[in-house]
Order: sequence, then C-alpha cells, then structure tokens
Amino acid sequence: MIGKMIGIRLVVLVVFCHPLIPVSAQGLPPLTHSLTPVKNTAAPELELQNMDEEVVDIRALEGKVVVVNFWATWCPPCRREMGSLERLYQATKEQNVEVLAVNIGEDLDTVFSFLGIVEPSPTFKMLFDPDGASMSRWNVKGLPTTFILNKKGELAYRAVGGREFDHAEIIKAVVDLSR
Amino acid sequence: MKNIFNLLMVVVLWWPGIGHSAAQKYTQLETGAGSWEIYSAGVTFSLTQILPDQVKAFYVNRGFTLEQIRDFERSCVYMTVLRNDNAPGTIHFISNDWLVQVNGKRQPLVPVSEWLERFESAGISKAALVAFRWAQFPPEQSYEPGGDWNQGMLSMGLPPGSIFDVTARWDIDGKGFETTLKGIRCDR
Repeated sequence: MIGKMIGIRLVVLVVFCHPLIPVSAQGLPPLTHSLTPVKNTAAPELELQNMDEEVVDIRALEGKVVVVNFWATWCPPCRREMGSLERLYQATKEQNVEVLAVNIGEDLDTVFSFLGIVEPSPTFKMLFDPDGASMSRWNVKGLPTTFILNKKGELAYRAVGGREFDHAEIIKAVVDLSR
Repeated sequence: MKNIFNLLMVVVLWWPGIGHSAAQKYTQLETGAGSWEIYSAGVTFSLTQILPDQVKAFYVNRGFTLEQIRDFERSCVYMTVLRNDNAPGTIHFISNDWLVQVNGKRQPLVPVSEWLERFESAGISKAALVAFRWAQFPPEQSYEPGGDWNQGMLSMGLPPGSIFDVTARWDIDGKGFETTLKGIRCDR
C-alpha cells in the first residue's frame, strides 16, 4: 500500500511538476498577452489573509493600480505565468502598482513549496481563499483569471487563462493606468 | 535514437472531410497519452487524456482516498482546452450542451455538479472538493478574442477502452457554432 502511494506521488511529480518535460510535450497551449477592457465598475470585496496571517483588504489599496490574480498550484497555466507576474511586479512596483495573487483552496505549506521553485521567486502579496468564496464574488469561472484595477479601485481589464504578464503590451497597460 | 523516439513520438494526421476550416491533429505524448486538437472558426479545441493513474495521483494528493476517486478515475478524463484565438466575437459556452458520441449513440457529458453531489454524499473533505471543483473545465464560460482560454479536466462518463467523438458547442451573440473531435481514444 505504501509502495503504491509512493508510486502515485511519483507520477504526480513527473506529470505535473517535472521541470525537464518541455511545455509542448505536455500538450499545453501557448500563453497569450491580450487584456480585455471591462466597464469601470467598482471591484468586488476582497479581504483575505496573507502568508503572515495578516488581513489584506483591497479597499486599503485605493490610489494604486492593483493586479489581482486567482490561481492554484495544481493549475498548469497558473504555474507557468507566475514568474512573469513577478517580472511585471518588478517592472512596475515603483509606479504605484501592487500585485495580489489569491490562492484557491490550498494551505500555506503547499503554496510555500511551490513558490520556492518559481523563477524569479514572487515577492508580491500572496492571499489565501481556503473555500474559494471570492471566486463567485469576482465572477471567476476558471483558473487562472486576472483583473487589473485602476487607481479608483475600479475594474479596468480582465484576462481569462494564462498570460505572459511581462509582455511589453501588458506592462504598458499597467503603467498607463498608474499615470 | 529509439529512446528518443519512444519518449516523444509525434504523429500528425490530417483528417479528410471534417470541413475546410478545421483539421484535426493528433499527438502522442511521452506519457503515452493521446492528444487531439482542432481549430475551427477562430477557436482551438483540444483534449489530452489524463491516464487513470495520473487522475488518481492528482486527487489522492488533494485529500481523496483511492476508493473515493475510483469512479471518476475510470470515467475517461481529459485535459480540455478551449481558446478564442480570433473568433469574430466573444464566445460563450455551456459544457452541458456538448455531446459525446459512442457507438452511434449521443449523450451529454457528466456535469461537474453531478460528481460534486456524489462526493459530498461520500463525506469528502471541503478542501478536496474545492480542488476538484476548480480543477474541472468550467461548466459555463465566455472568452474574448485574442487568447482568452481555460484548461481543465472533463469526464466523458465512458469506460476505459472507449473510442468516441466529442462535439464542442459555443455561440457568438446567439449564433451557434460547433466543432467535433473524432476518434478519441480512452486508454486504460
């Protein structure tokens, strides 16, 4: 029984996590870089704990451009885009931009282990939504989904599915909102 | 050379008679799983089998027991991608409208809600249910042109060994579109 369980875990490692398996070999489609402008309505409520168990309330970030990314470690495109999200943060954080990554349904240990293998390692805020309740408030129907809020705390852009967040067009859209 | 061939054998088949805007592509991955893809009317639709051991591994690592995930694992599960590359508008779909055709009979997909009801009555933990729910392909979704997409698991509700067709349906402002992947194989 123990041997079987170890075997199962090895399959998971190879299939979902092994860095040497080329992306194309996993049958994964390319990440895109489009953003859909959305009507400037007030962003839904988002008040969740971060990795230090401190509550982060998105309303306190008004005056900043905020990128809100809903994700999970078991979601392949979420894993693929996480490094580019950090590069976006590095390119824009001096211009009043915050990135919030909202993890759905996982615990601190799981997220922490994953972040250790992301390159570059994320330095933006990680929030935890253990029961996925924020997904319905934000009308998220699949992971990953990302929103970009303007400085008034209104929804400005949405992206459904994995993105290259360090693409010049996305960086420009975020910087333009911060002006 | 043989190892390389065994590790990554890619076979591309162009199927005649599917339609001028759609050609089906088949790839065999190094895991041994098959992957089928079609591009039609600006939309890419693909299915990649997640072999039963892979399904089992994924969910056991997220709180299911071997017994609890057995029926799902053996229901022919596919990693499903739908992407709006350049359709002439926002596409909207409800996956319950999609059809599986096997041995001349058409049937709908097994809804995610049906699996969740089964698991809830089996007393599976909330964390495991959250992982299950959000790892599935969305039951309903809209994608903007330019690359909105999702990837998730879809159960065909068929026994391993089945060979079947799957028709994906969507609409743009109420006008219906569909595309069919043919001859999908469900390996054991």
